[in-house]
Amino acid sequence: MTDPVLALDGVTKSFGPIEILHGVDFALRPGEVHALIGENGAGKSTTMKILAGYLDPTGGQVMLDGKPIAFAGSDQAEDLGVIMIHQEFNLAEHLSVDQNVFLGREMTKGWRLDHKAMRDRTADLLKRLQCRVDPGARVSGISVPDKQMVEIAKALSRKARVLIMDEPTAVLTERETEILFEQVERLRAEGVAILYTSHKLGEVKRIADRVTVLRDGTMVRSDLTADVTEDDMAAAMVGRELSDLFPPKVTGSDEPILTARNITVPGIVHDASLTLHKGEVLGIGGLVGSGRTELAEAIAGLRPRSGTVTLMDHDLPANDVAQAMKAGLAYLTEDRKGAGLLLDKSLRENLTLPLLETFGSPLIDRKREEAALDRAIEDFAIRAPARDMAVGDLSGGNQQKLLLAKTLLSDPQVVIIDEPTRGIDIGTKQQIYTLIAKLAAEGRSIIVISSEMPELIGLASRVVVMHAGRIAGELAGADVTEGGIVRLAMGMDGTSKDSAA
Amino acid sequence: MKKTLIATTALIGLTAMPALSETIGISIPAATHGWAGALNFHAERTVERLKEANPDLDFVLTTTSDPGQQVSDLEDMVATRGIDALVVLPFESEPLTGPIQRIADSGVWVTVVDRGLAQKGIEDLYVAGDNDSFGRTAGTYFADTLDEGAKIVVMRGIASTVDNERVAGFEAALDGSGIEVLAMDHGNWNRDTAFNLMQDYLSRFPEIDAVWAADDDMAVGALAAIEQAGREGEMIVVGGAGMKEMVDRIRNNDETVPVNVTYPPAMISTAIEMTAMGLTSGAPFSGDFIIASQLITPENAEDFYFEDSPY
Amino acid sequence: MSTLRNMRQNLPVIAPIVALVVLILIGIALNPNFLSYANITNVLARSAFIGIIAIGMTFVITAGGLDLSVGSMAAFVAGLMILVMNLLTDSMGQGLPVIVIGIGLALAVGILAGFINGILITRAGIEAFILTLGTMGIYRSLVTWLADGGTLSLGYEMREMYRPVYYGGIMGLSWPIIVFAALAILGEITMRHTAFGRHCAAIGSNEKVARYSSVAVTRVKLATYVLLGLLVGIAVVMYVPRLGSASATTGLLWELEAIAAVIIGGTLLKGGFGRVWGTVVGVLILSLIGNLLNLTDVVSPYLNGAIQGVVIILAVVLQRNTGTAR
Repeated sequence: MTDPVLALDGVTKSFGPIEILHGVDFALRPGEVHALIGENGAGKSTTMKILAGYLDPTGGQVMLDGKPIAFAGSDQAEDLGVIMIHQEFNLAEHLSVDQNVFLGREMTKGWRLDHKAMRDRTADLLKRLQCRVDPGARVSGISVPDKQMVEIAKALSRKARVLIMDEPTAVLTERETEILFEQVERLRAEGVAILYTSHKLGEVKRIADRVTVLRDGTMVRSDLTADVTEDDMAAAMVGRELSDLFPPKVTGSDEPILTARNITVPGIVHDASLTLHKGEVLGIGGLVGSGRTELAEAIAGLRPRSGTVTLMDHDLPANDVAQAMKAGLAYLTEDRKGAGLLLDKSLRENLTLPLLETFGSPLIDRKREEAALDRAIEDFAIRAPARDMAVGDLSGGNQQKLLLAKTLLSDPQVVIIDEPTRGIDIGTKQQIYTLIAKLAAEGRSIIVISSEMPELIGLASRVVVMHAGRIAGELAGADVTEGGIVRLAMGMDGTSKDSAA
Repeated sequence: MKKTLIATTALIGLTAMPALSETIGISIPAATHGWAGALNFHAERTVERLKEANPDLDFVLTTTSDPGQQVSDLEDMVATRGIDALVVLPFESEPLTGPIQRIADSGVWVTVVDRGLAQKGIEDLYVAGDNDSFGRTAGTYFADTLDEGAKIVVMRGIASTVDNERVAGFEAALDGSGIEVLAMDHGNWNRDTAFNLMQDYLSRFPEIDAVWAADDDMAVGALAAIEQAGREGEMIVVGGAGMKEMVDRIRNNDETVPVNVTYPPAMISTAIEMTAMGLTSGAPFSGDFIIASQLITPENAEDFYFEDSPY
Repeated sequence: MSTLRNMRQNLPVIAPIVALVVLILIGIALNPNFLSYANITNVLARSAFIGIIAIGMTFVITAGGLDLSVGSMAAFVAGLMILVMNLLTDSMGQGLPVIVIGIGLALAVGILAGFINGILITRAGIEAFILTLGTMGIYRSLVTWLADGGTLSLGYEMREMYRPVYYGGIMGLSWPIIVFAALAILGEITMRHTAFGRHCAAIGSNEKVARYSSVAVTRVKLATYVLLGLLVGIAVVMYVPRLGSASATTGLLWELEAIAAVIIGGTLLKGGFGRVWGTVVGVLILSLIGNLLNLTDVVSPYLNGAIQGVVIILAVVLQRNTGTAR
């Protein structure tokens, strides 16, 4: 076995009085893909940030080429070939792709910037990644997967010895994931040490040579991937055996509760209609960009639209989210950090924001707010180290639970949940699935939008699939299969039977 | 007598020689304080009057609130309006000397008003109030009327050449009089600043015999603060520039405001008129016209009271 | 351990107060008259105008906005108020009704001016900075035009009748101080304990989240500008009786002083967090600097601006350093 290039030796990390990492030992070797897995809040991000010089360890040591090193910051780490790609991209939105790739290390010709060289070099890198983005395009205008590719191109443009990727595939489609893995394999062959995290255990099994599991800031196990099964990994992460991920389905009534007719959002959604029944879990599938989110936002009054939305005999006006909420409709956004939660505010302020008026007028009753937070923490099993901490410091799973609590605070009859489990761990996923089933059992009606096929199939009794802004078809009962959804999502006829799903 | 004669011939020439239309550019500071407001008032009135008297005269009047803008205004005047003469009150001496020199070199008649340029001999005609005399007149009044050992406070204007000249004149006149200047701070020719400053002077000094506010706007602020503190009768306030309300108080023998010092904003009218005549008569006035400051007293106050002036 | 942590957390909170206390101590050391009743009431009363405006500015900035037009707006409202009161005196004669109408007009025009700013920012989607820079110029020109380049002065008799609104008071406190204090308390309660205040912070923190949480974003933002306009009106009602005049220089740079006071007080310039009591402390700090410099000869008067600048930067640095030490 080759010697490790970068390693952690008994590393601990505390934020104030709270210790997050309790002694992590860990080694990255050249030419090896190392997967780091664990539930949200297990300490993966902290571990990666220490490796990449963004954080200093409180105790223990970081070893580079067998010698202790204290990075003066991520800049020094990058100069030494340790590069981290963040989940939330570090791209300057208003600069072009090539300007981003060479940001801070601009190529020059004399004292002038050599625009052409940088553009050509960027084009080469992107071509290697089979990414068709124009190097001159502004980053703000390109898609999320393309931004991921730009980040990787940026890393490739430096001489990376260690590449650390925080959930790189979370925002990628399967095809894009394949391209990424080809690059990972190529880098591995070149002798680069690669660390990456993912919640997709199938992927870990497929690409990683070694897998390390973190739980509550402690290293639980570290094995060669070949020696463990996906079930082993899941069990190690959660610390218990996982029973069936999905609770039994609840069958709804035939009584329509929400009817959307001829919904059109100019340029995005065209003439979409759907009906939701009382007590039902309806799935909406389709590719990213097929107009699922926009349709949901149009129904929830968050976008201008044409067409009618009727909720329990009320016509909901367009672009009026307050009316929709009052009528009993709530929407949980897929963009947790951008549109769901105020990251710099406390749990309490986030929880009560949509319904502040009901917590006392003119003065807000702080006690009632605290009581509501107590209930939410208990009902949704939110784990927060401190009550008054900023929501941005919570783990993704706990943020999602808080967002759910916030959405359900108005006691809505209809809930639209967009990507209920994006970027959260398997234990929390299971809790959220159970909760959705429970809501349906209480007689509420739910629409689940998801990119994850198993989620749609496991939760929904009926699935509407969108393609290019239109409703491509609907599947119900036994027809709700991965193959059926994919065929509709790709614009094919979903009813024709296929055997090779 | 001779002067009148020239003026008359000039006026005849003005009406008798329609010839080519001539353009006069006028650039003065914007009406950001009372005195500049009056300046604008007089400039506009003069322009209207001259236009009526002579349709062949064209005027371009610009007001400006900083030196940079004034330079741009001047450049525009020369480039787009082809002015034949320029009447300018430079916002600041130094930055405008170069641009005005270029205009003068190009053959345009230049009249500089009030604020002298940094270099001598650029302008054809210089019309100005006398800042040294402005300060000296007030200082002399204090030296003559106050007892030895009297205590006074001074409110200066915005830090500038004008302010420095005035204060220098004032201090020179006080020299040897035995009057003690307790404090001297910038009231920035602003009523509110002067009010606050006077409040603080009143807290700081138990005895003040006189206040010199180097401008009537500041005198207004100072008087309000004195009234608030109930210390009227303890001290006199001398302002400057002959504001209507101050002159009114003087002619009514107000004990707090016994005198004032002139610095007539109407000098802009003189400058414009002289330039217009020179341009049309072919017998131009050139040289320096310095208008000394006068002391306004209850006896002569009536002569300085202009009902319809905004100032 | 925990006390240390408390100290650390509290330092950014108390930083402006520390700065204020230091200034007061310096004042006491420099001049025995500093603590005199007259000086203290003078400083408080002259802080009232910018203070009242800064309270409104706190809400605007907390909600992620900005208003550069308040100084000019105050001058314009004051000029219009004086003009109308003089006209009314001609037609109605002197009397209380003229004052009441004048006050009503000042408040109404303030509200209207705030509404115009707000509606153009929220509905027409113009950047607050550039829009209010525009209205700043407009109001400044309008008052110059109204005053014909000079000064608008309230007629002598009306001035005498209106005078007590600035100079009078109860229990030794003049009206500007009382109104400023009352508005500050009301503002602090509104910011911390009402849905409106919370909504302002939410919008400033992340407008999209606020919209998705069914906060009436447009209406709340508009309301902050209208509130600021109203407070400008109130400040003018207090200001006019002081000197009874308005000119092109009235309220010059008030907008920057108000914004500086808000930021010194700990409100984030980018929005998302605001505190009214901090703003009040900020206003007092700015006034005290001017007062101290007038009470001493230690520093050349040419350097007044520099001293102000240094204190502003120090007050903010103190907060930022400790604030990010988390």
